[in-house]
Formats: sequence, C-alpha cells, structure tokens
Amino acid sequence: MNSTSLRVAPRAWIFDKVLMGMAPDAYVRSLFTPFNLVAALILAAGVPAIIYRFAYGLGAVTNLSQVNPWGLWIGLDVLCGVALAAGGFTLAATVYIFGLKEYHAVVRPAVLTGFLGYVFVVIGLLVDLGRPWKLPVPIVYSFGTTSVMFEVAWCVCLYNFVLFLEFLPAALEWLGLRKAREWAMRLTIGLTVFGVMLSTLHQSSLGALFLLTPEKMHPLWYSPFIPIYFFVSALIAGLGMVIFESSLSHRLFRSQLDPHAHVDLDRITLGLGKAASILLFAYFFIRLQGLADSQAWALLNTPCGHWYLFEMFGFILLPCFLFAYGVRHRKTTLVRVTAAWTVLGVVVYRLNVSIVAFNWNVATPYVPSWIEILTSVTIITIGVLTFRWIVNRMPILREHPAYREAH
Amino acid sequence: MELSRRKFLKLAGAAGAAGAALAPGAVHASTAIASSRGCGLLIDTTRCVGCRACEAACSEKNALPEPALAGDARVFDVKRTIAPRVYTVVNRYGDPKNAASVRYVKTQCMHCVEPACAAACPAKALEKTAAGPVVYHQERCLGCRYCMVACPFGVPQFEYDTAAPYIRKCSFCADRQAAGQLPACADACPSGALQFGDRAQLLEEARTRIYQHPDKYVHHVYGETEAGGTSVLYVTDVPFERLGFRADVATTSYPAMTQTALSAVPFVLTLWPPVLMGLYAISKRREAVSRGATGESESHHE
Amino acid sequence: MIPHDFLTLHTAKTVEYLIAVSYLLLFIPFWRFVNARPKPDAAAAAVARPAAATQWFTLPEGLFYHPGHAWLRVEGPDTVAVGVDEFVGKLVGAPSAFRLPRVGAAVVQGEPAWSLVVDGRSIDMLSPVEGTVVAVNDAIAESPSLAHQQPYADGWLLKVRSAKVASSLKQLLTGRLARRWIEDVAERLHGDLTPALGRVSEDGGVLVDGLARVLQPDTWDDVARRFLLTEQRADSAAGAPASQGGHHA
Repeated sequence: MNSTSLRVAPRAWIFDKVLMGMAPDAYVRSLFTPFNLVAALILAAGVPAIIYRFAYGLGAVTNLSQVNPWGLWIGLDVLCGVALAAGGFTLAATVYIFGLKEYHAVVRPAVLTGFLGYVFVVIGLLVDLGRPWKLPVPIVYSFGTTSVMFEVAWCVCLYNFVLFLEFLPAALEWLGLRKAREWAMRLTIGLTVFGVMLSTLHQSSLGALFLLTPEKMHPLWYSPFIPIYFFVSALIAGLGMVIFESSLSHRLFRSQLDPHAHVDLDRITLGLGKAASILLFAYFFIRLQGLADSQAWALLNTPCGHWYLFEMFGFILLPCFLFAYGVRHRKTTLVRVTAAWTVLGVVVYRLNVSIVAFNWNVATPYVPSWIEILTSVTIITIGVLTFRWIVNRMPILREHPAYREAH
Repeated sequence: MELSRRKFLKLAGAAGAAGAALAPGAVHASTAIASSRGCGLLIDTTRCVGCRACEAACSEKNALPEPALAGDARVFDVKRTIAPRVYTVVNRYGDPKNAASVRYVKTQCMHCVEPACAAACPAKALEKTAAGPVVYHQERCLGCRYCMVACPFGVPQFEYDTAAPYIRKCSFCADRQAAGQLPACADACPSGALQFGDRAQLLEEARTRIYQHPDKYVHHVYGETEAGGTSVLYVTDVPFERLGFRADVATTSYPAMTQTALSAVPFVLTLWPPVLMGLYAISKRREAVSRGATGESESHHE
Repeated sequence: MIPHDFLTLHTAKTVEYLIAVSYLLLFIPFWRFVNARPKPDAAAAAVARPAAATQWFTLPEGLFYHPGHAWLRVEGPDTVAVGVDEFVGKLVGAPSAFRLPRVGAAVVQGEPAWSLVVDGRSIDMLSPVEGTVVAVNDAIAESPSLAHQQPYADGWLLKVRSAKVASSLKQLLTGRLARRWIEDVAERLHGDLTPALGRVSEDGGVLVDGLARVLQPDTWDDVARRFLLTEQRADSAAGAPASQGGHHA
C-alpha cells in the first residue's frame, strides 16, 4: 500500500503538468491531428537535413558562395525572426511603462512570442554559423568592439536573458513555485526598461550591419538611415504579430481562455491597429526622406525601382490606410488581415535588404537551396510547436487562479 | 619558357635582394611622409611579366597546393579568383595575340589601412596590426562571414566544403615581416613588379614614377584612397577598369560608415533608462491621481 | 551608392525639408481620421438625448398629464377621460390586464386608482383627477393591449365625473410644461439605461418595449413603480434612489 502511494504522487505531477491531466495513451492518441501530421513530416525531413548540414558543412546544403556569403538563414531566420519577436518589448513597454492596462491580456503571449522568437533566432544563427561552437568567443574573451555585429551579439544575448526572466513568472506559476514567482514579478519594470533599451539597440543594429555595403547594395535600399528603418519596421512588425497571434490564439486555444475574464480582444486589436497605422504613416515618410537623401529618384523607373515602389505603396502605405479605415469603422477582421499583410511586408523588406538588394548586381545572384528553405521551415515549425506546448499548459492566455491580483 | 620551381626561387631571390637594395635608396631621396602607416606593397603592372613566381612562393610558404598549371601559359585563358586554398592569383588582361596589349595583374588581400573586415569581425579574429598586415586568428573565428559581406574587394574566402571551416586570405606574411624578411611574393618577384616597404614611402615612390613618366602611367595610385587607403598600391599604364580593378570602391574608410551608428550606442544606454523611468513615473502618477479622484481602490476588472 | 555632388546637395536638402513639412501637414488630418468615429457611437445613438423627447414619446396636444404618467382629456364641463400615456407601455411593455375600479368608485388625485398587470406583477398608477368613475372601457378588459397600442384614443381607461376639474387641471402638465417634463423623464431614463445597456445594437434609436426589464431584469416592477410614482410606501424601495414623486411642474 505504502509503495503504491509513493509511486502515484510523482507520476501524478507529470500527468497534470505535462500531459495536461490525460493518461499517457490518451495523450498520445490526442496527438494525431492533421496539423501535427504535417509538422511531423516537416520535422522528419528537416531534422536530418540539419544534422547533415552540421556533418558536411555549409557548402553541401546551401547555395552560399564566396560572392554571396549570407542567404536565407540570415535574411529570414535572423533578420525577420528578430523583427517578428519585437512584440515582446513593445507590449511590455505599453503595459508596464506607459501604463495602458487594457492591453494586459496580450502582454504575456507577446512576451512568449518574443522569447521563443529570440531563442529560435539563436538556433537559426547557430545553424548558419560556420563554427557555432565559437559563439561564446565575442561574449567571453575576444571583443570586436568596432563591429556592429559585436553589439548585436551582446544585445541579443542579454535580451534573451531578459525575455527569459520576463517569461519566467508564467512558468513559475505553472510549477507552483510561489516565492520564486514573487521575486520574478518584482523584476518586471527593470526588465522592461532594460528590454526596451536592448531592443532599440539591436533592432537598429541589424540594419546597421549593412551600412558597410554601399556599393554592394542597390541604391534604392541602401541608406545611412537603415538602422532607423529597421527599428521602426520592427515596432510595426511587433504590433502586427501581436494582433495576428492574439486573434489566432483566441481561436485555436479557446479552451485556455478564462470564461469569466472577459477579454475585449476587439478593443485591443483596434488599439494596436491604430498604433500600427500611425507608425506606418511615419515610416512611409522617413523612407521617402531616405530617397531624397540618396537622390535615387531616377532609379524608380527600373525593374528594381518598380519593386521598391510596390514595397512602399503595397506594404507600407496600403496597410497604413487599411488599419486607419478598419480602426475608424471598427472592422476588426480588416485590422487582423491587414496585420498579417503588414508582417509579411516587414519580412519582404528584410529579405529585400539582405538578399534582393544586397549583391543585386553580381553575376550569379543568390537563390536559396531547398535544404535552406526546409531548414528555415523546420525551425519555424519547432518554434510554433513549442509555443503551443507552453500555451496549453502555462498561464499565458489566462490567469492562474492562484495568482489573480490587481495590476 | 618553362622554369623549374627551384630556378624560379633562385632568380626571385636574386631579384628580390636587388630590389630590396634599391628600394631604400630610392625612397630616401624623396620627402618622407610624417606618420608611417605600416608596411606596404607597390605593384607596378608595367613590370609584371606573368611568371607567377609570387603564386609559387606564396603556396609554398603557406603550405597550400601548388598553383594550377604552373609554368603553363594556358592558365591565363580563364580569369581566376582567389580561393580558400589560393591566396593570390595573377591574371592576364588584353589580347594574347597582341603582346603589347598584355598586362598581368596580381590580386590578393589589400591590407587596408582601415580594414572593413577587421572592423566587422565581432570576435576580432581579423585584426589590423600596427605593422600593417591584417592578420587572422583562426581560434577566434565564428564563421559568421560578416567579413565577407564587408570587404569591398571580396577577399576573405570561406571554406564551405568542410564542417569546421575557416576564413582564408593572404596574411602579408606577417610572421616573415616580424622576422625582418620580405613577404614571400615580394621576395620571389624577379622583375621588380612587387616592391615592399613602408607604405608612406611607397606612395611617394609611386607618385614619383607617375610624375617622371606622365605619359606612361595612369595618373592615379590605386589604393591611395580606395577604401580609405590600402597597404597594397597599384600603378598601371592601362586604365584600371580594363585590368579588372573595382571602380566603385568608396574613398572613405569602411569602418567610418558604421561609426555613427555605433557611437549612438552609449547614448541609448545612458538616456533610455531615465526617459523610460520618467514615462513610467508619469503614468504611475496619472494612475494615482485618477484613483484618488474616484475615491475607490483600483479593482481588477478583467 | 550614387556618388554625391555638392551641387546637387542643395536640391536634395530642399526636397527633404519639403517632405518633412508635407508630412507634418498631412499628419494632422491623418491623426484625426484615425481617431474619429464616422457617426456617433451606436450605443449612444440608441440612447442619445433625443432632440425632443417627443421623438420618443408622443404627447398629444390638448391633453393634460399627471407626473404618474396618466393623461386626462376634458370631455364635458364635469367629465373627463383618463388613460395611461405612451411611456407606460414603453416602460413595462403590453400589460396582460388592467385592474380598473368599478363604475361608481371614487378616485382621488394623486392616489392609486387602478393597476396594470404585467408578467404576473401588479403595478399601481395614480389618478390624475378627483371624482367618481362613471364609465370603464370594456374594450380594455377584452384586449388590454389596446391601452398600449392606442393609449390616447381607443385605449382610454376610465371616464370620471368630477366637480373639481378646473382645480385638478392646475396640478397637471400640459403644453410646454408637459414637454419639459417628458424630456426630464427621458433624461432620467437615458441616465439609467446607458450603463445597463452598454454596447447596444446598431439599429437606430427606436426604443423597444419593456425598458424596465432591461434596467432591472429581476426587479423591473420596482423600477416601473419608481417612474409611475407608486413605490410601496410600507417598505422603502429596494436600492432605488428616491423618486421625484410629487414633483409638480
């Protein structure tokens, strides 16, 4: 009798926390969904590809060359991943520094998106680095202080830590570690300030990386103001992602929502949409300023110029007005669709800078290989699965009943 | 003409010694530039005969494979670029059937005065030394390839074909220089096309040559201002664009382009905390005021 | 990178200033566009102060109104007709029955004279006049909703013979005073409704019947009595603020 009761207690914890209260066989059966099937296929192809990359080197799996040293993994996994994770510091600042408590319901999902976003950016970076085991070098003992990338490395490293600590209260609540959770909550305002500071630095510095490439980048995209463009587009992408992710989560993870805590997601969506609209408006004009500064008007009448105009009007000015119209007439669906389009627009911008405009006039332009694409998709899939795992178990979309408190 | 490798080196040694003997004398006669910017290499394409002794010497010194088609002129039929196992190449320009139009140009790392690669490297794996060479510390390298993005000359070569890749490039024979020797290529050159010395003095030498033969040379020393100045300097009698030189390299130093962005960092680090905490204090105060006005404690609605 | 020439710098800088100024000028209308609402909030529209309360309730001219929402029509030197105004129907909905006094019963101005039954609950109403009931509308017994559909015509309730018609009339509201009174009622109703309704449907400003039930689903009869000035005096009205009963214009 005694031995059985001893055995039951630790098993119950795993059932409750990890298997969400289901018996193991029931849990396994619940995993057979169409989405999981697709994800499993992606992982079945992608994980071996990643292992192959580490076994045989970058040349065996990518289309990178001596002329094109950076490709999809830097352009998408790193540059876009960091932009899409910007909702973390944006919402944290909104709620904790500017005191707009009405957005409180989306700050935890935004911080989680940010945290996971940055974790998987680092993973993507590790896949891209030629010697990933040397990643600690610039952090620990050899400091290339003249390098923008040094600053990016430090900021991303520290910010990962900040995001982890911002996410920690939710995990501690899940584990029931009350005292630790109280301690972690006290750090919130300091972490938020630190996080805004670090984010300002590295979001803009990712753009500043390209300041060294004036003759390698197409003049329409090259500008001394790239750091500002990257920072503002990160804010916009962050807001767009929060709108997009929150509307998806409230639909897909409905069971996680607290039925008594009526969250006015429509109002939050419209508020974020309004902020995005104003930022897009300003962003359009500072991009115009860059055009004026570089005196590149004549280039607008070239194929690259047409693509640039499409980016400006289709992905910046159009969502600006769609957001404004949607907010004004309270059309939340329009705002959500526009948010997804805006996020796509920021992805397009960063891919334009890093792949399309960079090295635009070399003899052999870079095109990603299928393994590169598969790897990026695999990393994103693992990120989404992790997000789902955490949201289904931890108090992200809802408040933990034991920790309800006035904010 | 087929030369064996040993013969090359003998000739090269003789020529190099002669050149070294000549150079200081020629330089002393000119006005010295006040601050020396380290060593330099003056490449005069009018003197290069395409013997590729420099390639052979370089590959031997760096334990690289022998240069392709050594001694065979057919190697010039295709333009070659530097590669992870080829630190320097000599290419032929002009029409091979018209001997007078043929020029040979040696390409390698330019060892910029303010190198973009060294400024770009987050781990200081590429480092500009005071003596002049931009050296590579392979134990620090992450393989991030930002140096390749930054270098306007496309110099750093990445070992894509291995799982533990390094960056490879000419090191200006920094170890030989430290021992008081010439770089291997300069040592081996039999025709005096490669002249090693102090950069400032070589610049003077180059300008002197142009001044003394104004109709022969193009009135420009390539490397004087390119990328803010490089240690390797070129003079030619044929326009540089016809010899495969990049014409779009900026004349300001590359590191200077990122300095504005980097110099903002300390300001963000200093100003953001008080600004953000100030905003926080304002929002807290407004909350307190509105709470005081309604006379009720803030209750949790959501 | 496009090589720059100092000579073109002047034009470039001028263009940059122009862009900045245009942006600032355009920002003002843009900000207003994003922040404005195209029409007043639908909820506010539904419960907005009507320009004239007569948009909500018709108060026909020529009638005299008691603050308890009964009306009086002079039919002869000492005969009057009495009924309930439109507000009553809007407040409680169509009554299922009226409990009217018998012919010959006495009614006193300002005292409960009849009651209406809605949803099983009985609510008293005050008489606007003092006198004797000489007729009762039988049609009301047949179809009580008549008082709701045609409150001022066929929906009359009682005919009363009174010796004090003139003095009774002095206590009643008519014309401009009646309109001010009904606006005041509408104001109170608006004030009570807005927090209760919150987000209201987007269909225009037409009030639906049975508003008291919207205000207080459980104790709507207390609400109705508050407006009809017949709150139970035995026990204080549950939670309801003191009515403005007895307030004559």
